[in-house]
Amino acid sequence: MVSGKPSNIKSFKNSKKFNSILILLCLILVFLGKLDLIAIRNIKAFLSDFLAPVTFALNKPVEEIAGVFEDVKSAGALRQENIRLKTEVRKLKVINSKASSQELELLELRQLLKVLPERRNKIITGRAITAPGGVFANTVLINVGENNGIKVGQPAISSLGLVGYVVNVSLKTSRVLLLIDINSMIPIYLTSSNWPAVVKGQNGKLLKIKFLSSKAEPIEGEFVQTSGHGGRLPSGINVGKIVKSFSGKFFVKPTVDFHRLTYISIITNKDILPFKSKKFNGFAPLQKPETSINLKGLNLSGKRVIESPED
Amino acid sequence: MIKNNNIFYYLYKFSISILSFVFLFFILNFQSSLSFFSIFEISTPSLISIGIYLCIVRFNINPSNTILFLTGFLHDIMNGNNIGTTSIFLLLFRYFISSIILEKISEKDQEEWIYFTIIFILSFCFVFLFNLIINFSIPEFSPIFFHIGITLILFPIINISIDFFSFVSRLIKN
Repeated sequence: MVSGKPSNIKSFKNSKKFNSILILLCLILVFLGKLDLIAIRNIKAFLSDFLAPVTFALNKPVEEIAGVFEDVKSAGALRQENIRLKTEVRKLKVINSKASSQELELLELRQLLKVLPERRNKIITGRAITAPGGVFANTVLINVGENNGIKVGQPAISSLGLVGYVVNVSLKTSRVLLLIDINSMIPIYLTSSNWPAVVKGQNGKLLKIKFLSSKAEPIEGEFVQTSGHGGRLPSGINVGKIVKSFSGKFFVKPTVDFHRLTYISIITNKDILPFKSKKFNGFAPLQKPETSINLKGLNLSGKRVIESPED
Repeated sequence: MIKNNNIFYYLYKFSISILSFVFLFFILNFQSSLSFFSIFEISTPSLISIGIYLCIVRFNINPSNTILFLTGFLHDIMNGNNIGTTSIFLLLFRYFISSIILEKISEKDQEEWIYFTIIFILSFCFVFLFNLIINFSIPEFSPIFFHIGITLILFPIINISIDFFSFVSRLIKN
């Protein structure tokens, strides 16, 4: 039942002007926030640092209760899960034996081609304080910050793949912008066809593929990895898989389950390259490996090629 | 004497404001943490709008504009939203309650659910359009529809539960 009390009506009439002023102030604040001013960024960082214990304390009970519910739910499917895991272990054993021989072969080839060894990533892991829920923003606060060597722009990963990148750092906490956020854009390449593209978040479960060549033909289930273009993110981190929608459009489904994020690792040795327009010559697109023979009996992707007698 | 009364009145007002701030802040955080549950993976319901609506319309508790602004501001900082987005939603929601319900149909028994739907969708649409302009791109619609749908489904459930509890408490009293 609606019960508009006279006292309420009177107080509302008095505060209408103030309400409008505050709405205007909020609009200005949103625009200022979008401008990414250093002062606003610092205020945000300070306040998120200050409020982090409160957020953690308020989120913890709900997280625990949700965990109990999930445990109860999964208990029913334990038998099926067990069978699935056993088959997976069998498959992995076969893959593992193949991989070890291929690794040796790869090492030999690397030595033969004198490939420079890759720099090992330095990683710092933090615990996610907040849940990534939100209609308009998808970010996560983690409990490592400037004191631990975290900087803005550094990539955030989990055991499954890329989570996002750091957008705000304070002394003890940092905020990670998730891949699925509408403001996130990541340069990628399709692992099977080697076509470069950019994936953009949509605040939903799937990522939009942008700037993909019209000649490219993505395959459903094909893996997508970071290309490293632009120098912001290292190359070769898993992003997701290609999925086809009902309308026939291709999207990327992230490998990371953003709602089960407990620990997030930040790659701290990744230096963010400053953009220098004078020296910038554009990014070279990734090339599809040619079938021509580079080494005797091997093509560029390292696969064995059987030479025909006519050649 | 009057002076003393005034002091007590302001103290009372201040304590009410602090309590409503704590209450709203708690609801907002609870709302965000609901995404830990797999059912709310896509999006969480807007419990804050249900809370504000029931406070104003049913319980005659009137959270001030400043409290709504502060709650939204802190929530935006904690959740990494654009600063001011939640505050705009909360202030607009309060504004629409005052202009649609309390001014036009005051003291009349009407269907609460319909008015809540109108007010919620109006304020959400405004904030959504504003976000579209700010981000300059169209987001996926499924989380938005889920957010609106689950809020509108939860509202009558919470309403009926409050009615039920008040009925039980009256029964116990009698």
